[in-house]
Amino acid sequence: MAKHQSSPQSASSQGANSQDANHTLEPFFVLHKAQPQATVVEKVSKSRKGRKKGIESSPKSPEKSKRTTSDEQPSNTLYEQWRFKAFNEIWSLIQSSIEGVLRDINLKLFNEVLQWIEDSFSEIKSNVKLSSSEILQPYPLLADTLCRKIPTAFVLTKNAEYVDDIQTFCDLGSHLKANRCHVANMSALDFSLKFGIGGSVRSLLRQLHSEPLDGKIADMLTLAKWYCEEENNDKPIVVMIDDMECCNADVLGNFITMLSEWVMKIPIFFIMGVATTIEAPKNMLPSDALQHLNPCKLTLGTPSDRMNSLVESVLVEVCYCFSLGHEVSVFLRNYFLRHDGTITSFISALKLACSKHFSLESVSFLGLYMLDQDSEERWSEKFVYLPESMKRCILNLHSCKSEKNLQGGVGSIVQQLSDLKASQRFWSSVVLCLFEVARYSKMQFLDIFCEATDPKMYCMNGSENILKKHFRCGDKNSTARSSSGVGSITRVIHTIREMPVAALSNLLDKWNNHTEEMTEINEEVKKLQSVLASVDEGKVYEENLHNIRNRKSVSVISGKGNSANEKVAMLLDAMIRKYMKPLECMTLHEIICFRDVDVLQSGLIGDPRKTIQLDLLKCHSYLSCSCCSSDAKNLSPSMHDTSIMYKLAQEFGDVINLYEWYQSFKTVLTSSSQTSRKRGCPSPASKKAKPLPPSETEALIQARFCGAVTELQISGLLRMPTKRRPDFIQRIAFGL
Amino acid sequence: MAPKRKKVEVEEEEARAQVEVEEEDEEEEELAFSRNYFLAKEVGSASGKRSAARKVSEINLVDDQLLRASLSELPTKHEKEIGSLLESYKGLYSNWLFELRCGFGLLMYGFGSKKALLEDFASSTLTSYTVVVINGYLASVNLKQVMTTIAEILWEHYKCKAKTSTGKKQQTQLPNGLKSVDDIVTFIVDISDDCNCSVCLLIHNIDGPALRDPDSQQHLARVSCCSCICLVASIDHVNAPLLWDKKMVYTQFKWSWHHVPTFVPYKVEGLFNPLILFSSGHVQTTKTALVVLQSLTPNAQSVFRVLAEFQLANEKEEGMHVSELYTKCREQFLVSSQVTLNAHLTEFKDHKLVKMRRHSDGQDCLHIPLPTNALEKLLQELV
Repeated sequence: MAKHQSSPQSASSQGANSQDANHTLEPFFVLHKAQPQATVVEKVSKSRKGRKKGIESSPKSPEKSKRTTSDEQPSNTLYEQWRFKAFNEIWSLIQSSIEGVLRDINLKLFNEVLQWIEDSFSEIKSNVKLSSSEILQPYPLLADTLCRKIPTAFVLTKNAEYVDDIQTFCDLGSHLKANRCHVANMSALDFSLKFGIGGSVRSLLRQLHSEPLDGKIADMLTLAKWYCEEENNDKPIVVMIDDMECCNADVLGNFITMLSEWVMKIPIFFIMGVATTIEAPKNMLPSDALQHLNPCKLTLGTPSDRMNSLVESVLVEVCYCFSLGHEVSVFLRNYFLRHDGTITSFISALKLACSKHFSLESVSFLGLYMLDQDSEERWSEKFVYLPESMKRCILNLHSCKSEKNLQGGVGSIVQQLSDLKASQRFWSSVVLCLFEVARYSKMQFLDIFCEATDPKMYCMNGSENILKKHFRCGDKNSTARSSSGVGSITRVIHTIREMPVAALSNLLDKWNNHTEEMTEINEEVKKLQSVLASVDEGKVYEENLHNIRNRKSVSVISGKGNSANEKVAMLLDAMIRKYMKPLECMTLHEIICFRDVDVLQSGLIGDPRKTIQLDLLKCHSYLSCSCCSSDAKNLSPSMHDTSIMYKLAQEFGDVINLYEWYQSFKTVLTSSSQTSRKRGCPSPASKKAKPLPPSETEALIQARFCGAVTELQISGLLRMPTKRRPDFIQRIAFGL
Repeated sequence: MAPKRKKVEVEEEEARAQVEVEEEDEEEEELAFSRNYFLAKEVGSASGKRSAARKVSEINLVDDQLLRASLSELPTKHEKEIGSLLESYKGLYSNWLFELRCGFGLLMYGFGSKKALLEDFASSTLTSYTVVVINGYLASVNLKQVMTTIAEILWEHYKCKAKTSTGKKQQTQLPNGLKSVDDIVTFIVDISDDCNCSVCLLIHNIDGPALRDPDSQQHLARVSCCSCICLVASIDHVNAPLLWDKKMVYTQFKWSWHHVPTFVPYKVEGLFNPLILFSSGHVQTTKTALVVLQSLTPNAQSVFRVLAEFQLANEKEEGMHVSELYTKCREQFLVSSQVTLNAHLTEFKDHKLVKMRRHSDGQDCLHIPLPTNALEKLLQELV
């Protein structure tokens, strides 16, 4: 226990003598075993096994908290547990939503693949019927190369990064498994030169066999034997390779050729992910392997389509229990567009934002209440039992300080919370309506989402009608704004004005569903629907498909269409003004809104190259000692040695002359210490050096020099001298 | 006369350059990667004024033992401030634990040794986890042993759980039967879902010399995404993120970055790094040469002395012909036959005291690979 209480610094200083010192030179060791009473298995977030527990496991313990209010420390731990529980519940909800969206978006492709496999499989079965003994016989080989073709689906992933496709292929695997297929999900690592074709076959067998191979030889005969077993027979074997272009071409070529020898006996299908073009396999694989493939082309949805669906279902529909502030939204949008454009990175960023929110915001556990379908009375009961300190915490939230109503106590907090939830529901309804228009005009949902979360836009729009502001005076201004990405919502309204009647009618049908909770708006939508229906009867059915897309013809055909469009646009404008109140404008929004963009950015993108250099150049800002100057350019002997050395190194070019570097370092340590001695305020370093004989002072300086160079080498900022240039060190990092 | 001497010198330079070609090739290859144009310019100008460039040997180097001693006793600057900086990180421990429980891996970076900080975090906060520490800064880390240890820990829990749940059949084999690291990692991944325990892998310097290779990183990545294993790691190298691809970062390690500069000296991490003012100087080589020579017979020492004196007297020469050395040694009654001389020479060559070179006239000649001043010092001490 004493060990636990010791500060890290004391641990480091005593390290040489303590028992820990023995561990420093051991390659690895067990620091301690889990304390049995404290063992908590937190698999929920990883394996998601606990998701189904659902709301029942939400904090039912206000009563419990009552007991612990006297003791602040246990109470904090309790709230931390609640926050963790809230994270698990809410993230499970978000994650299941993500999985659902991605599965739905790929379902069409999955069914296409399944259909293709079933067709090919039945064709093979109708042509060849072999007994088990014939299957197990390796010879005679099939002479006819035409018969030795493996049906292969090249799935164009349209992604330069295959990381998004890993999950897609996993889902595809599960889908096929559920539909009577044997599936082996292989990757480029299984087709490496290091392990050769043996590694590939072993990996294939390992995936197909439910039990370990137990020293069986991994060859095709083992596969044939396995296939002859009753429970495995009569099903196609699908081999999936998610990133075909990353595989070693020779190993993959040999693998294909080898499987083709058996294709009539064991029905094998390939599904290969291709990131670039359909030409890639031709360019990559050897021709003898290529001739054994019977290709078929399938295409995945684009990342931007997937992103739109994610924004809709995750950021908008689940926004009442966790949501993002405007700055965070803009950051995530830029992160997606400029970083790597992968859904995986976006989801991991979202998860980090979620965990940071529940980890850092002390009242975030109340998000669970939002998840709860309980009535306000039930909430009141829960709030009554909250300790005073927690209530104070809530009242001290930034958004509550200006709110005088909240001083009324529990009732007012519950009321505000209820308003918050309702407001978020309205907000999401309006945003969903906007998305419907965006879907028609193929706009990015993320842009609209960012704008819809902007509190400044709301304040600006509060007084003035968006439509009036941007459109009455003419459209030129709005076009300019939209190109800069600012005016997405105005572009949406602009789109409505130009929509053909049929599309407008579809739009209103969808709005009808989205606006069910907003009675007033819903009535307006219905009225507009009836107006449009009367227009439809007369004109719209005469339009052909071409005309529907043609703006001019619509305005010509339906004279009233223009005014109907205007009405719909006005309605949307009214909806935005009345119901699209961004979360950050609401009281108590801190409970469900994550706004700290800096925290997210630093957790997501560590930039060691820049940061470590900055640490060295600005060490004073971290140590904030009294002995050194805060001016970055001034070098004093009391400064951290490595910091002095790195600052001195900035004056050299690509290579540093060791002698000169040493002399300047020595000058900094000695001459400045002499001046400081004259001033009567010796630095810690000079204090130590003063009584020492010159040789030892020299040794000390040289030791400091050596230590600093070693530290810079560990940081990767230097390359050590080579035999050819023993007097020069090469710098590696230049600029920040 | 003068032009002729100049010609000889040029030829000598060329021959010497030929000998060094191999070393240079290797280095040029390194330089070709980055900034080679500017570097070549700079090196070119540096070699142009080579006489002006100061050498390390001009520093009055202290004895290496004294240097080592001083280094180990070096007082840490700003000890108090570093202490309070580390103390300030203690407030973040609960947040770090929270993120670990959320399924993220913690990646600590920033200047200064993070060993003490992370171990303090593990001992005080990660009490519900079995913590396995890997000292990645050591080149002696054997990942197979580490994985075996983890597999054993998990296997213990798995067995206990299998005993309690009666109907469960133990299908997986014992860790003892596993041969390669790949097998062990697969074993860990297979049983991790059924293990009722939490293991935290604390890796000091995941970018360390023994873990830098892609295979090790792949193994660590696969293990890190097991449901009962979490990862806390530190990096010190500025280019460490290049070790991972997107799959590893987003789906396996799931890093949450934390900037925690400590400014604690890298004492343990740098323990095995050669000191810059120690290995590059000739002090080391002179000393080792002396040790070797003193262990040889007086005759062998005298043969070496003959060669050394010749080299000192003829600095411009590429080396001494073997036949010439034999004649001189025979004159001084140091060797009686070519065989005896060859025995001595083999000894020298084995200990790298002498190198064989091809003379520009085509014959083999002998050369002591030490600078003149080092050789003089060696002869003085070899009494």
